[in-house]
Amino acid sequence: MRALWAYAIAYLVFLYLPIMLLPLFAFNEGTIIAFPLKGFTTTWFAELGQVEALHAALRNSLFIAVITAAISTLFGLLGARAGQVRFPGRGPVMGLVMLPLVLPEIIVAVALLVVMVQVLGLPLSSWTVIAAHVLICTPFSIAILNGAFQNMDPSLEEAAQDLGETPLSAFVKVTLPLIAPGLLASFLIAFTISLDEFIIAFFLTGNEPTLPVYIWGLLRFPARLPVVMALGTLLVIASILLLTVAEAARRRSARRSGRTDSGGFL
Amino acid sequence: MTGLVSIRGLRKSYGANEVLKGIDLDIGAGEFFSLLGPSGCGKTTLLRTIAGFEMPNAGTISIAGVDMAGVPPNRRPTNMVFQSYAIFPHLSVADNVAFGLKKAGIERTLGLVEQMLEQVGLAGLGERAAHALSGGQRQRVALARALILKPKVLLLDEPLSALDKKLREQMQSELRRLQREVGITFVLVTHDQEEALILSDRIAVMFEGEIAQLAAPDALYRQPASRQVAEFIGLMNFVPAEASGDGLTIAGLGRIARPDGLSDGALEVGLRPETLTVLDDGETFAHEAKGRIADRTYYGDMTTYAVALDGATEPVNVAMKNRASRRIHEVGDVVRIGWEPDSLVIF
Repeated sequence: MRALWAYAIAYLVFLYLPIMLLPLFAFNEGTIIAFPLKGFTTTWFAELGQVEALHAALRNSLFIAVITAAISTLFGLLGARAGQVRFPGRGPVMGLVMLPLVLPEIIVAVALLVVMVQVLGLPLSSWTVIAAHVLICTPFSIAILNGAFQNMDPSLEEAAQDLGETPLSAFVKVTLPLIAPGLLASFLIAFTISLDEFIIAFFLTGNEPTLPVYIWGLLRFPARLPVVMALGTLLVIASILLLTVAEAARRRSARRSGRTDSGGFL
Repeated sequence: MTGLVSIRGLRKSYGANEVLKGIDLDIGAGEFFSLLGPSGCGKTTLLRTIAGFEMPNAGTISIAGVDMAGVPPNRRPTNMVFQSYAIFPHLSVADNVAFGLKKAGIERTLGLVEQMLEQVGLAGLGERAAHALSGGQRQRVALARALILKPKVLLLDEPLSALDKKLREQMQSELRRLQREVGITFVLVTHDQEEALILSDRIAVMFEGEIAQLAAPDALYRQPASRQVAEFIGLMNFVPAEASGDGLTIAGLGRIARPDGLSDGALEVGLRPETLTVLDDGETFAHEAKGRIADRTYYGDMTTYAVALDGATEPVNVAMKNRASRRIHEVGDVVRIGWEPDSLVIF
């Protein structure tokens, strides 16, 4: 029993210690990332506010993340809904749709680069990144919305139709309100994934880098490292907040539809 | 005769599995009609086809003289109470009940909703959140939501199966009362034969996609058309018999005058346990048989005996009301059994 506890604690330390170091060095006065720590400072955070290139990268990333989240949630809604219906070849089709979940991102990135540039001749831009991010986020959206649909009594839509609604208006008046928290959860998760995705963005971004790509660029200048630490700290906090809201929304969705909670990402 | 709901030659298959094998049925206006059968007999599919959720492969359904082919559920003069009740969890009780009003062209007034809630015994609960209701209350909301639209036919899919026994019995009498009050045709799907007998004006017993017998409850109980129906409705003793000459010889019970239209040979007769009597000393019956009590079960209000009749292989079950003046027999007692040829069912 004691050994298990030790194992669990070692595991958590291994997972989170590196992340704990981010804020530690972000508030450290020295420019070199090493112990012992020097004084406490908020200089690096102040500096964040002054770098125009960083702001541009942040704006670019937010733009990509919002559009990606919206599109992949829409696709997730359609995909999860289609997955409820039994049709020939349903298994293979759903499997292929979910495949990007486990496909190595580097492969997706290289393949898409070849397709976009060599085959389609598209110029690299935020839109090529969005297309790729939709590809990797849609399976997450489908997984979340699948859960939302499965938690719903299928008789509810039939009941609405029985009471005079058309299939479409029954969907809007009954199904959508019941899966709304699932939609929110899907949007937030896709947003988070897109926001800090690096490999695909690195390959497919044009001359407007996303935030992770910009941070990677900063690493070549050791003097800028503490700024990266400060930025990293803010990103960690933002990610945790977003995922918490998403999970709360997902649980609310499960409760609302009156079924027991069946797992989730958190 | 054509009824309010008229079904002709209705067939439905899922792949190679034929669920409805040519149903012909007429349901009259204002009737409380039940579709009774074991699970998988097609009764729910038939109900869903009337509601418009399933499309038949062949045959027609017409309601009030209008052919329902191609009419979607939202445009049919039917409303349904689902087995799960399908109460909209994101709406209040009043909003659930009023859900279909606008589409049906009925103006929503507080009075109308409140009156409906009162009729189903939910007065004053309109503002309650739907997910905070008990099973019995959900049932009532589902009823109110459907009845407020004044459908020509109310379809009920096993509406009482999720309730416990006490509540179920209470809801049964309320369903019956409600149906008399509103005068709407009710079509109930159930696998509970007792429920069907209690509630219905007429019952269609279904087996494997076909209607095995269509009759009023008492006729169904007294004269089941086949052994299968007899086994499904209540309890029955099946006794081998043989027709010859001018009589019918029943194993263990004796010989009676041959009923009309019976051809020579071996057959089976049925006797309900409550039509048999374990006779007390001095009591006499026109038809008596001798036997020994093989088993006894005491229920308080009733005692049932398994009686091994002289000259029969299988014991017959006898159900007796416990009257103070009647003695409870012990296992092993030799007794006389009284019976009436009138209650005999011949298969």
